[in-house]
Amino acid sequence: MADQQQTYEAATARLEAIIKRLDSGEAGLRETLELVREGRGLVEFCAGELEAVGQGLEELRLDELVARLEQ
Amino acid sequence: MRRHRLCPTGLYLGVIAEQRARPEGIEGSPHAGPFPVGAYAAKLRDELRKRARVQLFGEVFGLRAGRARVWFELRDTEGAVPCAMWRDAFEELGLPDGALADGSQVVVAGGPDYYPGSRTASPSFSFAVSGLRLAGEGDLLAQLEVLRKALAAEGLLEPQKRLARPALPRCIGVVTGEGGKARDDILAGLRRRGWAGRVVWAFAPVQDRHAAPAITSALQDLASVREVELVIVARGGGSLADLFAFCDETLCRTVALLRVPVIASVGHHTDRTLIDDVAAVSCSTPTHAAESAVPLHCAEARTAVQSAAGRLALHTRRAVLDRVRHLAHLSRAPAEHVARERRALHQKLREVRASATRRGREERTATGARAQALGRRAAAAAGPELAARRTALDGFTLALAAHDPERVVERGYAVVDDRQGHVLTSAEAARRAREVRLYFADAAVDATIEDDG
Repeated sequence: MADQQQTYEAATARLEAIIKRLDSGEAGLRETLELVREGRGLVEFCAGELEAVGQGLEELRLDELVARLEQ
Repeated sequence: MRRHRLCPTGLYLGVIAEQRARPEGIEGSPHAGPFPVGAYAAKLRDELRKRARVQLFGEVFGLRAGRARVWFELRDTEGAVPCAMWRDAFEELGLPDGALADGSQVVVAGGPDYYPGSRTASPSFSFAVSGLRLAGEGDLLAQLEVLRKALAAEGLLEPQKRLARPALPRCIGVVTGEGGKARDDILAGLRRRGWAGRVVWAFAPVQDRHAAPAITSALQDLASVREVELVIVARGGGSLADLFAFCDETLCRTVALLRVPVIASVGHHTDRTLIDDVAAVSCSTPTHAAESAVPLHCAEARTAVQSAAGRLALHTRRAVLDRVRHLAHLSRAPAEHVARERRALHQKLREVRASATRRGREERTATGARAQALGRRAAAAAGPELAARRTALDGFTLALAAHDPERVVERGYAVVDDRQGHVLTSAEAARRAREVRLYFADAAVDATIEDDG
């Protein structure tokens, strides 16, 4: 996992908050640029998470997974 | 032979008669009596109550509840006994709603009883039930209810519900039967979500007596793998006895305390097993369980993320470009202001010059006219002195030209006005105005008269 602390739902929730703040037009230039930078990081994280479950279904038996982890 | 008519009136008359005297018996009958029926009924009740208390089992039929009692027939293929139970005692059993119904297998304890009736109430025979226990499937349900209450009292129905469920798990564990249809249904549900992560199967028997320990162990094994983020436990429909493995106490306690959320889909929606109660989520079908495991529709989520990225880019452009435009505007503003002031000053200077030139021209014209008039008068009056006077006159003309304000200014003098466009020609006027403007050949400067006279 890219980030143990970060979860997809927390990332999307924060992203929505950021876009809402930007849409409000109340953020100054510095804040806007900081929000955009943070937002880009979140987009990247979310895209990575979606990518991870978009590569094709992988089916494993539990014993196979355990064996693989023990290697 | 005397015959009594069995009508209310006859009965009444009979009672009256009985109170007066016992009627004669049936002639030739070998039986004792006649006895008063009420006494016989009471005796009959007492005799029945002396019979041994027993337990019977059978199937409930015609269940109905009155204010004071609950009645039903207990039947099997060979016969039946009408049963009655005090309502208080029945309610103390704490049976779940609907657990006792027609067709329920029960064991009852009690003995025969007889209600002797009265002048206004009909007599009745019944098996007086003092204890009752559900048997068969009803028994399972009752056991289930007891266990459910015990787990609820220990707070074990809640921990799973408090676990955070990932919106987009990467790895899902599944406990199910290896050959069951549930497996295909789960895969179909995951595909419907557009999810293509990792599924870890932990196959276990799902209906015999080995099932519960095997399922428990599979769950523990899956939960011990760090990358498994949640577990689905699935099994298709079956009889309650088939599904009873999922009501196992050890299994349910394990689920309740598992570190990952468990999504249960056991049996059909009409079946309610105990694992449904302790799990984080209970679903009616394995397909729903899979959809519940991945709450997010992946394709929609991708579109949403792309849209978010687009909005961020838009805001970046807007924020930077808008501010660049604003800054450019701000940077131009002082220069524009200075240029505007300069234009205004030049305009004023032109106006002052034009005004001075106009007055000079008027003076020149008037002086020229006077000079011509004087010349003519001089020529007429002086004759020979004409040439000399003309020379003098030319000198005056030159002197006048020398007084042209523009020329004067160019030579180093300055024109003074009161900043309102009125030329000041005396020290007194300058003192009055105080705030004056001096127009030099190249530009004007403001000045304040400090001299108060």
